[in-house]
Amino acid sequence: MSYATEAGELDREILGTIERWRAGARALADSEFGDLARRICAHQLRYNEPYGRYGAAFGYAPDQPPETWQQIPAVPAQAYKEAIMATFDPARAALTFETSGTTGGAGGLHFMETAELYDRSLIAAFDRFVLGDGARLRYLNLVPNPAERPGSSLGYMMDRVARERGTGETGWFVTAESLLFDDFVAAVRSAVAAGEPVCVAATAFALVHVTDEMDARGLSWALPTGSRVMETGGFKGRARVVSRDELYERIASRFGIAREAVVAEYGMTELASQYYDDPLRLRDAPRRKVAPPWLRSRAVSAAGTTLPAGTVGALVHVDLANRSSCVAVATEDLGAVYGDGSIVLVGREAGAALRGCSLDAETLRGIAL
Amino acid sequence: MRALADASERWCDADFPPRVRAQRAICERTGYSLPVVEYALDALFQSASAAALEAAIVDEIGSLSALDGAVERAGRPALHALPVGRVCVVSSRTTIGVAIPPLLFALCAKCDVAVKDREDHFVAAFLKTAAEELEELGTAAVAEAWSGENDARDLAAFDAVVAFGDDVSLRKIRSQAAPRARFVAFGPAASIGYVAREALADAAACTRIAAGAARDMLLYDGEGCLSLHALFLERGGAIAPAVFGEIFRTALDRASVEFPPGPLDARAQARVANARNVAAFRVSEGRGAVIGGSAGYLALLDAPPSEPPSFLPRVVAIHCVDGPADALAYVRAHRLPIEAIALAGNRDDVDAMALETGASRIARFGELQRPPLGGNHGARPRIAEFVRWVTSEA
Repeated sequence: MSYATEAGELDREILGTIERWRAGARALADSEFGDLARRICAHQLRYNEPYGRYGAAFGYAPDQPPETWQQIPAVPAQAYKEAIMATFDPARAALTFETSGTTGGAGGLHFMETAELYDRSLIAAFDRFVLGDGARLRYLNLVPNPAERPGSSLGYMMDRVARERGTGETGWFVTAESLLFDDFVAAVRSAVAAGEPVCVAATAFALVHVTDEMDARGLSWALPTGSRVMETGGFKGRARVVSRDELYERIASRFGIAREAVVAEYGMTELASQYYDDPLRLRDAPRRKVAPPWLRSRAVSAAGTTLPAGTVGALVHVDLANRSSCVAVATEDLGAVYGDGSIVLVGREAGAALRGCSLDAETLRGIAL
Repeated sequence: MRALADASERWCDADFPPRVRAQRAICERTGYSLPVVEYALDALFQSASAAALEAAIVDEIGSLSALDGAVERAGRPALHALPVGRVCVVSSRTTIGVAIPPLLFALCAKCDVAVKDREDHFVAAFLKTAAEELEELGTAAVAEAWSGENDARDLAAFDAVVAFGDDVSLRKIRSQAAPRARFVAFGPAASIGYVAREALADAAACTRIAAGAARDMLLYDGEGCLSLHALFLERGGAIAPAVFGEIFRTALDRASVEFPPGPLDARAQARVANARNVAAFRVSEGRGAVIGGSAGYLALLDAPPSEPPSFLPRVVAIHCVDGPADALAYVRAHRLPIEAIALAGNRDDVDAMALETGASRIARFGELQRPPLGGNHGARPRIAEFVRWVTSEA
């Protein structure tokens, strides 16, 4: 079977899975997920050369893939920075997303052969977890504008959502240099005057800045009924950190919406699918996050073994929509995975403090700046 | 001085009941295994002999007598080393016994000393022993645990403040101290090792170096400023880096038995797992090698020089270099504040590199974590910080 035929067949299967879920079909059985994940893994072992070499170190080959989806070798996200993790010639990539850089190192690239897998995965999950009421909204985006930063997966994501689910009035309020606060205020006032509900999509860090600025200027609004805020991205690499609880309280009070109208998204540039706060458990603390059935996760120990349900460990994600790159990605993100597949993320504040006069990488970065 | 040395000697006895109790409490507080804590207390108290104290004092202020009255000096006015006043020692949260050396020297200087003790009350227990040796030590020094800001001591009341911690903590403590108080800060620092090609002469020599490096790396789970955070291996030795890596693996396995790891929290586990995954990926790409046994350590052979040390528990990067200039370039590129450097191989350019790293201590492999009491930790004097010099021409 040629590459194109095999890739096409896998894509059709994945798209079919997405479509059936959209139509309300039951979630994938473990065996169905595992079977498709293994075949995607075998495909990647054959055609993604770095992944093939990585898999070989675990004893796997295209004709000898792992027996379960849990055994699929997960590449560290760093691999995207050090090699071309693609099953195809990246010159033919339909989508290319840039991953963030590391200390002393360049960022990486996530190449996707087709936009369809990403787009359909995104819209299906967004519809289910953020737009469960079928709302058409104005999208006020405090994330990079794809026209300015085409490599931003977050920008692309919100652009797709706004195009497919928006009212046509979409605003972008973050540039490479600054946050366009005055323009954002004008857009919010316009929506409030028109009584049109909005979705403010923003990184947690941008929301801190916006609410700070609102406080400084004595601003607050009562957003039209049905408005919501999608928060994402956390505080990675930022000096100022606000607890999520405090942040959501600030958002709710400044925008005049319920806390339950603030929904967190959790994703990675290295993945094609995303987690969202479970819309049925938005009052829980901590909130559970859920994913569409083609994205599953494991919490693992330092040795890489799967931890029991509810035990906190490093998260490893298996995303079937990552057909043309790596189906399994290991992260440093901490979380617990529950029996129903939902996860709870654990913040960095849960980590160990510095010991004595020791030095860790973050301190070092502080010195090096 | 003698009373303090005698108290230290009693604490050298592994069966001394206060020490046994303190060990248990320290293990509980820090999470380090008992052999690690035992090693720490041995290293600390075995170094605190009367001879070592006297040598450090005489070296810095000329004579013991200067502590008791003016001492004539050739060509200079007579000198009297009076106590600086009240001294506060704020030790860091998880290190073991860092407050003891400044406590000893401040007491030798006849200062009143307050020590921020930890939940294990280790310093208080030692002071009780000291008071048994000399009653007045019981009133000259106090050790109490306090945490946070609400019950913190009034640092402005002290004439000298010794502080261990990260930059944020040090800045805060400094701001609370009196403007003219002496501030003796021990901030974040790293330690490294360098093995010259001459030292890679044969398997026996490498086994000795590897055994020492393994101990330096694994003690205190690599979390102290004297832990081995990066190891440089010079190319061109009789023993190739890959072979040294295998010797190092054996040494790490052995040292892991001697010094078992403490439990890792989930965050540390995730970071170590990621480091292992990244290294495994690089190996699959033909870059470097992973030396990682089942005993919870990870050594990364031929790690990229673009990456700073990970500072993860029991993780060390081994950099293969052509010469000392490469190691120095690494230290400078990552702006590593170097506390100590372990050397193997006697060569002028290696010695010069060690000085240029900014290290305050040059040691042998296996001794990094056992600093002598008379050394100048943090490039600071020992007792001179705690005396007020008075010269007399009368």
